[in-house]
Amino acid sequence: MTKLWRRHRWWLTPTLLILPAAVLFSVVILASAVESLWISLHEWDGFSPMVWIGLGNYRELFADPQFYVSLKNNLIWLVMFMLAPPLGLAIALLVNQKIRGMRLLKSLFFIPLVLASVAVGVVFTWVYTPEFGLLALIFRTFGATAPAVLSDENFVTFAVVIAALWPQIAFCMVLYLAGLNNLSEDLIGAGRVDGARGWNMLRHIVLPQLTQVTFIAIAVTVVGALRSFDMVSVMTSGGPFGSSEVLAYQMFEQSIFSYRFGYGAAIASVLFVIMAVFIAWYLTRMIRADERGG
Amino acid sequence: MTFKWIEKPSTRRNFLKGAGGISAGALAGFPMPALSQSSEVTIISDENNADALRILRRIAADFEKQSGTKVVINNMDHEAHKTAIRNYLVAGAPDVCFWFSGNRMRAFVTRGLFDDISDLFEKEKYKDVLGATTGAVTVDGKQYGLPTGGTMWGMFYRKDVFAEHGLTVPATWDEFLAYGQKSKAAGLIPVSMGTKELWPAAGWFDQMNLRINGLDKHFALMNGKMAYTDPVLKPVFDHWEELIKQGFFTPDQTSFGWQEAGAFLAQKKAGMMNLGAFVKATFPEQDLEQLTFAPFPKIDGALDRYEEFSVNSVHIPANAKNKAGAREFLAFFYQPENFGPYLEPGGNVPPRNDLPASKDPLVNAAVESLKTVAGTSQYYDRDTDPDMAQAGLVGFQEFMAKPERRDAILQRLEGTRRRIFKI
Repeated sequence: MTKLWRRHRWWLTPTLLILPAAVLFSVVILASAVESLWISLHEWDGFSPMVWIGLGNYRELFADPQFYVSLKNNLIWLVMFMLAPPLGLAIALLVNQKIRGMRLLKSLFFIPLVLASVAVGVVFTWVYTPEFGLLALIFRTFGATAPAVLSDENFVTFAVVIAALWPQIAFCMVLYLAGLNNLSEDLIGAGRVDGARGWNMLRHIVLPQLTQVTFIAIAVTVVGALRSFDMVSVMTSGGPFGSSEVLAYQMFEQSIFSYRFGYGAAIASVLFVIMAVFIAWYLTRMIRADERGG
Repeated sequence: MTFKWIEKPSTRRNFLKGAGGISAGALAGFPMPALSQSSEVTIISDENNADALRILRRIAADFEKQSGTKVVINNMDHEAHKTAIRNYLVAGAPDVCFWFSGNRMRAFVTRGLFDDISDLFEKEKYKDVLGATTGAVTVDGKQYGLPTGGTMWGMFYRKDVFAEHGLTVPATWDEFLAYGQKSKAAGLIPVSMGTKELWPAAGWFDQMNLRINGLDKHFALMNGKMAYTDPVLKPVFDHWEELIKQGFFTPDQTSFGWQEAGAFLAQKKAGMMNLGAFVKATFPEQDLEQLTFAPFPKIDGALDRYEEFSVNSVHIPANAKNKAGAREFLAFFYQPENFGPYLEPGGNVPPRNDLPASKDPLVNAAVESLKTVAGTSQYYDRDTDPDMAQAGLVGFQEFMAKPERRDAILQRLEGTRRRIFKI
């Protein structure tokens, strides 16, 4: 037995180690993704027999004005979420200095990451509440009336994204803080000898060493923006009248409230394609950039 | 080399065998607890009221003592239960579950997921004590559940606020408009409304439609037999728009949930609110005696009085394992001395007519009020198809915020109706 093991462990060990993850991934992610695609070609309410309708759900989806509202909101999420990496970097640079009290400041910036995102959503809902919310009180001290941001179809998505940005910025800050700790002292010293300081130091010495971190930060932020769901659910339930819905929320609403699992699956598939295309494009770009300059 | 290639697959097979053996052993190694299914009744409840849940558990304990049958109660969050039930009725049904009567029950009955309990009705002679409420749990002449608490909808208000500002309860449309002017002059919001959770706007639509078009036309719409663009609905939206334009409702109402809207009423910032007796949850204990209600004002004086009366219910899933035990438990649970105390904390209207008068004056008022009602609907999202309901709720919320979009909204709802009811 030991002989057999010794002869075969070159492939047995990695196989055994990868197996649990591979099985889990294929059952939980791959199989359900494929099944979801399959369901999207049917009309199904969750427990009756599925009825094949081919691309019917997709045809309806592309004619559904709500789909375009959700898509537009996803775009707003994506664009605004892109603020998270630079802001996270800025805060990371700020709190990374060796000044007394910085540790406290660091942990303060870290707090939103510890909070459950649902809690963040609830708190921001209170802040936005007309008449007695914090925002309303601030406006009142200046003698103005705060807009009811969560009731206004033009503001509502921005208001929700701002709430979601708070923990996202903290997350990027943590990523960058880790990156800043791994900077090569030699390079910085060399740069200093050559007279680099301030902006030049950041631009040409520090940032190039943070490329890997930036890559992760952007990828995670994009995925976070596209799958945004919890904040919308907690803060507005997609309202008022669907104007803050995003694709993930619309999928949930259609499947769970309207019992249209086929239609929900179709939305999920579209979302999947958008994410896959973006990630694929981003990955190839990164790899190419890596090959060029490394 | 050849020798090795022959051996490799064999070891791989051995490995697989071993792995298979281990997993089989793991499965066999944890024997299922040997429960004797016949002496246990499992219940899934969706009780949010802690007192009512406590009483339900006590009833279960009493039943255990009396019958020797073990009762297991799994209580779920009310909203989460609404989605979970679709899973568990198919995949792992309890012996007893709580749900809603009317169309929501029918959806499961037509799919064969609820057990026919006409025999229990026959044996316990429930029809004699339930009267017309039997209809709420009847499909094609068979009963599929027991009605539990009912919620009577109406216009709730504070007696002291009305007295303080010299307001009177509006009984007609003109009086309602006058009430609005007077309460606005007194610095009150005439009608507290929070549509964040969508449904309160739909309830308002129901009330107006019942007062303008009556029950039959309302149900034609609920059952998908009438178009949302039908001209008979025009006066409903005209009247509604009149109220919106006159500032009857809470501004920015989509930012508030029903509980916040209820708080406006409790804090004397609003005059009235259309809800069920559960609005009392937003009132402090000492203010409860001020809370009372009146029916929604008449609009078409020639119409009979129809009200919204939603009835919850309790059922035996068709896939239950211990249907006999479940029937025994339901019979025990439904005895007046058990059922009465269970209903008390929620302020629900008892469906049985042989229960002693409630300690809650609101309940007794609702019972009296119901006697003069010609017919009842349950609520928009209970009476129509759930898919239609979701679209309708959003549509009515939008109408209240943007009445000028009426035509677009109704066109959209009509499109949804045609898709759902396959017209």
